[in-house]
Amino acid sequence: MQYGMIIDLDRCVGCHACVIACKAEWDVPTEFARNWVRHLGPAKIGEEMAMSYYVGLCNHCADPVCVTDCPGEPLEVTFSNPKTGEKKTATVPATWKDPIDGTVQIDKSRCIGCGACIEACPYHARYLNPALIDAIGSDGKADKCTYCKPRFEQGLPPACVQTCITGARIFGDLDDPASEVAQYVKKGAVGLEAKGGNLGPNSRYFGKKKDMDLLFSTSTPELAGLEKAGRRALMAKIMQPAMKAAGELTVLGLVGAAAVKALADKE
Amino acid sequence: MAFKLTRRTFLQSAALAAMSAPLAKIAYAESTLAPAALEAKGTFADETVCGGICEMCFWRCQIIGKKRGDRLVKLEGNPKSIDNGAAICARGNAGIQMLYDPDRLKYPLKNTGERGKPVWKRISWDEAFAEIGEKLGAAIKKYGAHGLCMFPHGASAKYPMQFFDNIVGTPNISEASFFQCRGVRDTAYMSSTSIPPNESVDMANAKVIFLLGSHLGENIHVSHIKNYIQGLQNGAKLIVVDPRYSAAAAKSDVWLAIKPGTDTAFLLAMINYLIEKKKYQADFVENHTAGLDELTVGVREWTLARAAAECDLPAEKIQLVADMLAENAPNVSLHPGRHVSWYGNDFQRQRALACLTALLGAYYVRGGWCPGKAPKVEEIGWAKSEHDEKFDLNIKEDGKRKYPFSPPGTPTDLIRDTAISGNPYPIKACVIWGQNPIQTIPDQEKTKNMLKQMDFVLCVDIQPTDITMWADILLPQASYLERYDLIKTGVQWNLADKHQQYIAARMPLSPPLFERKDQVFITNAIAKALGHGDKIPAESLEQLVDKSLAAAGLSLSQLKKEDGIHIQDGKDPFVIPEDFEVLLFNEEIADAGFPGVPTYIPVPQPPPGFARLVYGRVQVHTFNRTQNNAWLHQEMPVNPLWINDETAAKLGLKDGDTVGFVNQDGVKSPTTTIVKATPGIRKDVVYMAHGYGSKNPLLTVGVGAGVDDTQLISKASVDPESGTHGMRNNFVQLIKDGKTLDIPA
Repeated sequence: MQYGMIIDLDRCVGCHACVIACKAEWDVPTEFARNWVRHLGPAKIGEEMAMSYYVGLCNHCADPVCVTDCPGEPLEVTFSNPKTGEKKTATVPATWKDPIDGTVQIDKSRCIGCGACIEACPYHARYLNPALIDAIGSDGKADKCTYCKPRFEQGLPPACVQTCITGARIFGDLDDPASEVAQYVKKGAVGLEAKGGNLGPNSRYFGKKKDMDLLFSTSTPELAGLEKAGRRALMAKIMQPAMKAAGELTVLGLVGAAAVKALADKE
Repeated sequence: MAFKLTRRTFLQSAALAAMSAPLAKIAYAESTLAPAALEAKGTFADETVCGGICEMCFWRCQIIGKKRGDRLVKLEGNPKSIDNGAAICARGNAGIQMLYDPDRLKYPLKNTGERGKPVWKRISWDEAFAEIGEKLGAAIKKYGAHGLCMFPHGASAKYPMQFFDNIVGTPNISEASFFQCRGVRDTAYMSSTSIPPNESVDMANAKVIFLLGSHLGENIHVSHIKNYIQGLQNGAKLIVVDPRYSAAAAKSDVWLAIKPGTDTAFLLAMINYLIEKKKYQADFVENHTAGLDELTVGVREWTLARAAAECDLPAEKIQLVADMLAENAPNVSLHPGRHVSWYGNDFQRQRALACLTALLGAYYVRGGWCPGKAPKVEEIGWAKSEHDEKFDLNIKEDGKRKYPFSPPGTPTDLIRDTAISGNPYPIKACVIWGQNPIQTIPDQEKTKNMLKQMDFVLCVDIQPTDITMWADILLPQASYLERYDLIKTGVQWNLADKHQQYIAARMPLSPPLFERKDQVFITNAIAKALGHGDKIPAESLEQLVDKSLAAAGLSLSQLKKEDGIHIQDGKDPFVIPEDFEVLLFNEEIADAGFPGVPTYIPVPQPPPGFARLVYGRVQVHTFNRTQNNAWLHQEMPVNPLWINDETAAKLGLKDGDTVGFVNQDGVKSPTTTIVKATPGIRKDVVYMAHGYGSKNPLLTVGVGAGVDDTQLISKASVDPESGTHGMRNNFVQLIKDGKTLDIPA
């Protein structure tokens, strides 16, 4: 099973309903977003004029670069398939790729807000939500699109899909050949693979050739310099014992945690 | 480094958290006690409240609210809707931010400073009504009912407008939706087909969709956009005529970058070609039109070659479009447009469009112009009465109408000019209700001069728009989420689907916050203060709506039981009324001294060094009224200037450069915007979205964001038949780093 989303650019009118519905559904702070619409062109594509939209969100990649360096405390988690009852157990840090449904998720209670995953994502699909604070993540927590996992688990469409006024967003299981999303892939829907990368983005685009050319020529990202992400993760790991101690000392509270963090930084 | 927490960064992030987090989370961050909601829960499990009707624009999608405790947390389309369904646009979704916008009007206010430079003092509703009664009463007593003028807009202004029109008895009412927007479309079609066309084109089932300068896709009316996209998905060919590569052009099969203002010449050439080549729908023309002979003679001069030269288009492209339409007739959607007050030659252009549609037989057919058969409901309101024509500014001394094809109400400039000159009589009191004339009516200085000479100005609005700075008394109105409202009716969005009708009434999803009141409460109190208490048709808005619903055999309680929308069987709309007739030649127009067959009137051209300013829409804003919405502002904080990329290069301008403007009358923009250099616009035009650049500092989000295009539209070209305002005969130069740049031809 691999959930994915299709953005049909022939249907999209660039109305931003998806962005605002997501903000409302998930308390995303005004200045941040889990998804975005960027207006492209009008520009010449060969001899033709084109204008389209980069309708972006987390790609829930086949091989996500954002999860590898997460310094969050690993935990054994049992994942289950609500349809088949199939269970899989894996030890994962604070962000991982779900071995059942293929989505990439974050456990905010274990996220320390180090920003490594945010640096690693070439699509800038993650941001640090400063409103989410606890003793181990006093700068905030990484946040991003979950493909509305809590909604689809209840049989509801993702908020962005439900509000899409023209049916330009289609959500489903790419591994199910009968699904509408799989049909779109058959017709040629493709993801925005990062330059030189092999991430396997599962949010895919479909549209006229000139619109796709415009999207891919303007919006294909470079792979992130993973050194920076790695450095962040490493620093965070060094700090972890101190943070853990602080986490246990809840009486210390936020200011206490900050003090421990400051100490760790000095060291 | 982000995770190096110093005292400074700690304070910063705490401040940021305080800005963006709901209160509960801040409390958690401060106490670090229980593991509060690090993971947002989503709204899907929250309580659902039904019966909302959106008014972030005027399309009125049916919505529901998600409620957590006392607070609305999300708005969604009503899944029962056969119009917008469960979908709503960005603005609809952002209604939550409008509802809780801390900048919104909360209490009645009295201006203790000057008009235009207000100093506000909070007063009670009783004090407000006492003062309104005294000041409006004095003006009416001294100058007569016609000494009062009104600028209303929207659902909330209907009831008070009826009061001032029917009961107080002033003819001086001017609605922006008519005189600065779609009025000329309606009167031109009524002079052609006897019916205002709305946007009733069955695009979903068309073989060709023809858009003349349309903002479809930039102007988001949900069911209309669904209709349009469904048409394209079904294989309709799209023709877009626009000097700019618009959102619609981006989806087109044929884009014609026409020279601005020449659209009528283009339409006449197609009419001439269809007649000459006998490519029109002969049966329809014979059975449902009159005046083909006059039309034939009237358009004879408009050869393809002549139109090509006038419109700056290849002749073969004009022929191609005419052939596409003819070959696919009658299943072609010629969109009547919505905002069509463009150049002051608009009545004739809209007539040409109506006549071309007739030649193609595209009325009451699948894929053509065809209104759905909506259910009938009775509107309850103030008793009707006749005005004394003596005071109708649109009636000349000889008893004839100055603008014979004016939409209902009085053409705006007849009111403004009369108020400023005092001729033929003084206009000394002004009521502005839900309209922002500063950003709807061209020539802002004239509007300000009109307001300066008033004895009394009353504004009623939900938010402190720019016009409210000119009020003496400013009243806070309940928004569409906080009140009942009149009824919305319609049919299923795709005419090809099972025929259904719906009736919905607006019901509040939240009680009115602060001291906000609805239009019936406010109007009734004003009526009592002016001695008209005995004529009040309903004691409350709820009662008014219930009375209207009763006429359709419904009630609010029944509607609530039906989740806010009553649905019933519909009727086949594809039946042409036997007496339907399109006047290709209209004798009444000719008798009034105007061309009886559609005629092209050339428009002024830009002086050297200037480009024509054309304005339009963006997907996330409804003109100025959504500018202070924090979520929407975040999506499009300014209105970039579209300028041809080669022109920009000659001027040394790059994407993202900051520019200001000066227009042909020396009017300068007080704010700036950024450059968007693109091949997708002609060299003789620049373009920006309308409604930005608010000046009221009380709009803390929208103030100074982008440029106010209306300020640069100081020249209004009045359409001679209708008295409506053409606003696209204004020309600008750019200002960069204090230097004025000549725009090369």
